Order: sequence, then structure tokens, then C-alpha cells
Amino acid sequence: MRIEFKMEGGFAHFPGLSKPVRIDADQLSREESAQLEQLVQKARFFDLPGKVNVARKGAADYYQYTITIQMGKQSHTIKLVDPVEDTNLNELLLFLKKKSKETRSGRSGQR
Amino acid sequence: MNKELNRVFFSPSRAVRHILPPHILRSIAEKGTSRQRARALQTMAMDNTFRAIRAGAQAKAPLPRKGVRALALEGQKQRTIFDAHNTQTLPGDVVRIEGSQPGSDLAVNEAYDGLGATYDLFWDIYERNSIDDEGMPLNATVHFGNEYNNAFWNGERMVFGDGDGELFNRFTISIDVIGHELAHGVTEDEAGLVYFFQPGALNESISDVFGSLVRQRVLNQTATQADWLIGAGLFTQNVHGVALRSMKAPGTAYDDPVIGKDPQPAHMKNFKYTFEDNGGVHINSGIPNHAFYLAATQIGGYAWQKAGHIWYETLRDSKLRPNFGFLRFARLTVANAARLYGAGQSEEQAVRDGWAKVGIKVT
Repeated sequence: MRIEFKMEGGFAHFPGLSKPVRIDADQLSREESAQLEQLVQKARFFDLPGKVNVARKGAADYYQYTITIQMGKQSHTIKLVDPVEDTNLNELLLFLKKKSKETRSGRSGQR
Repeated sequence: MNKELNRVFFSPSRAVRHILPPHILRSIAEKGTSRQRARALQTMAMDNTFRAIRAGAQAKAPLPRKGVRALALEGQKQRTIFDAHNTQTLPGDVVRIEGSQPGSDLAVNEAYDGLGATYDLFWDIYERNSIDDEGMPLNATVHFGNEYNNAFWNGERMVFGDGDGELFNRFTISIDVIGHELAHGVTEDEAGLVYFFQPGALNESISDVFGSLVRQRVLNQTATQADWLIGAGLFTQNVHGVALRSMKAPGTAYDDPVIGKDPQPAHMKNFKYTFEDNGGVHINSGIPNHAFYLAATQIGGYAWQKAGHIWYETLRDSKLRPNFGFLRFARLTVANAARLYGAGQSEEQAVRDGWAKVGIKVT
């Protein structure tokens, strides 16, 4: 399973924080790989619409996320904005944010 | 009395709650048992919600602004702070209401005070009664999300994260960030500037302008004394930077190996064409931000007085349309400077010069 995760927007645009991050499940530890697979399943990722939610009229400074997951022959991309009300999807998002942070600070946890 | 209150609050009929007048609820919120306090706070918050719905309906009605109803609420702040307890569920629980004493939670107190200072700037200086000029209640949620690195306006409330502690501190730490979020509500109410490309960058800039003016007024600084930073104190010590943005010197607020370099231009020649960040709304806002800084410092004195007044009247100008870009907005600021302070006077010249220095020529 391969994931591309991109975060943009927010109160300020930070070039270093808006670069897309790629996560390859094969490169994760066995525990993390299993955890990721479970999160993707629980979020029913491949059943989600391409646009999960949109910002309310007049809203500003919200984060926007683009997540692409490739699993076997399946590939799906979703876009969403904060606040994310779907708790299962939010769990997946928190995992991806954590991994992005580790990648940025060089503590990738990768083998 | 406690038994009587329990009967009123915890009776199966929810309608009963609304018979208590606000001053009694307020007193319970201060002196009741913890369960009563919680229920009183909830009730008052609900009451505020209904007030907001009514105010919203009023704003849409084709009535002249500042009518009799508005007078009845003039100058009355209606702040409610909610706690999301590190979830993403809005609005969260009510933790502080208007008139109640500060507690031990720093973010709650900062949000409460920041909303107050923002309300006061708009009311004391521009005679605007809250976000909609009709006394709309001000609602903010703190402790949103887990190590959440952001503050945003969701279209009806301000939302603040705690920051991850690694790159960012809590987002209520800088009062201009609170003013910035509330100003988004004002912009939406008055102009509805589209949140994309140049109109979006203007929308962002207007929030920075009034956010900065809130801070300058609290600190009692003149235009030359102010640092014109947005979000000072938000970065932890791990980040090489002083703030999120600088209106005085856009592009210089931070330069860090992890978060990158401040991408804001200060001049049209460096305007960034991008689809990222809603078409660069937080990037190109550096240009109108700097024009405001230049105009305000050339006019001199307190920036919230003349320069702020000109920008505020431009925002209220019925000629300002949701799709306006920098040039058309700039023209309106010059026209409003002339209308307010006289054609050909130094204020009009300062506004014209401010825009010219960022590469926008108003003829």
C-alpha cells in the first residue's frame, strides 16, 4: 500500500509543511503497517467520495487535505477540509499527520 | 434553593430551562453546585445560539442597518468560550460566558480577552456592534483537535488548536490571531470576498490588518512603534522565526529548515501565481498588508484611527464586490480616504503612495 498525503492552507502557508509526503506501507514497521491497514479499512477509504466535505461559505484559514491511496490495483483520491467529523477518517488523518511530522524531522521510523 | 434548582434544571421538560432570566442563570453559573453550573452554562449558550439565529435573520432582512433592535444591544459583548477537549467535535462544552471570572485555563482566558479586545476595537473606534453590526454573539472553541497546529474561522465560530509544542504553541497566544479570525466574520458579512486568488488574498489581508490593529491598540502603540507582526510568540524555540507574517517586511518572518521560508511578497513584481493555498491567499496577502503598513506609517499616529478607519469604510463600501482584486480595492481605499479626510489631503496621498510602493498605481 502506498499513500500520498498533502496538507495545505491553514492560518499561514508554510512551504515546508505543505510538501506532499509519501508513505510506503512496506517501509513501515510491521506494527505500523498493520495499524495503517486497519485505519484505512475502518475509514472505508475506498468507499468515500472524492470530495468528503467542503468549507462552509465564508470560512477561512482551514486546513485542506488530499489523500491518495494505492492498494493492489485500486487507487483512490479524496479531498477534505477541517473540521473532520468522521472519527474513523480523523484517526487515519492523525496517523498520516504523525508520519509526515516524523518524515520532516528525519525520524521517519522507517527501516 | 439547590433542590429547587435541580427540579428546574433536570426536569424532563427541556422547555422549562428557558424560563430563567439571564441574570439568575449567571448567578447560578457562578455560585451553584458543579452540576448546576454546567447546566446553567449550557442553557446560556443555547440562549446565545437563538440570539445568533435571530440576529442572522435580521441581517438578511431588507432593513436599514443600526435600527432600533441594534440599539437595544449596543456595546454589549456576548462572548462564550467552548472547550473541544482535544477532539474535532464542535462546538464543545461551554467553559466561560460573558461576565464570568477567569479560570485557570490560559487558552480560555486568552480567547475571552482577545474576543473582548476585538469587539472593543470595532465598537469603540468604528461603532460596529460585533461581527454583523447587530450584536451577534461571539463564540470561540479552544483545545480543538489533538496537538492541532491551526486556528480557523468555520463560517460561524473561531476555532483554536493547542499547537504540537514542537513547532507551534497554542494559537490563542497572540491576540492578533484572535482578531484576525473575528475579522473574517466581518469581511464575510460586509463584502463576502471570494476566498480564492486576489479577492481571497484581500480577505486574508483585511484580517491581518484588523488583527494587528487589535494588538496595537491593546499595547497602545503608534504605527511607528508597532512591530506589525502577525502571530508573534506562536513558534516554539525550535523554529527560526519571529512570527507567521510581517506586514512591515513581508517575506522575512521566518526561515527554517523544517517549515521553510516565509513566502510572502511585498511587491507586485513578486506576486505568486499558484493554485496552492486557495490560490495563494496567505502568500499574496503580503502585498496589500504592506500597502496598509506604508499608508499607516506615512499618516502617522495610531494606525487604527485614520488608516484603520479608511480600510474599515472601504470594507463597508457598497461598491466593494466579492470578486475585487488588488487594484479595484486600492481605488476604493483612495476614494474613501478622500471622502473621509478630504480630497487632495495628506491621508489620500498616503494611501495612494502606499499602494504605489507595492506596485499598484491608482490613477
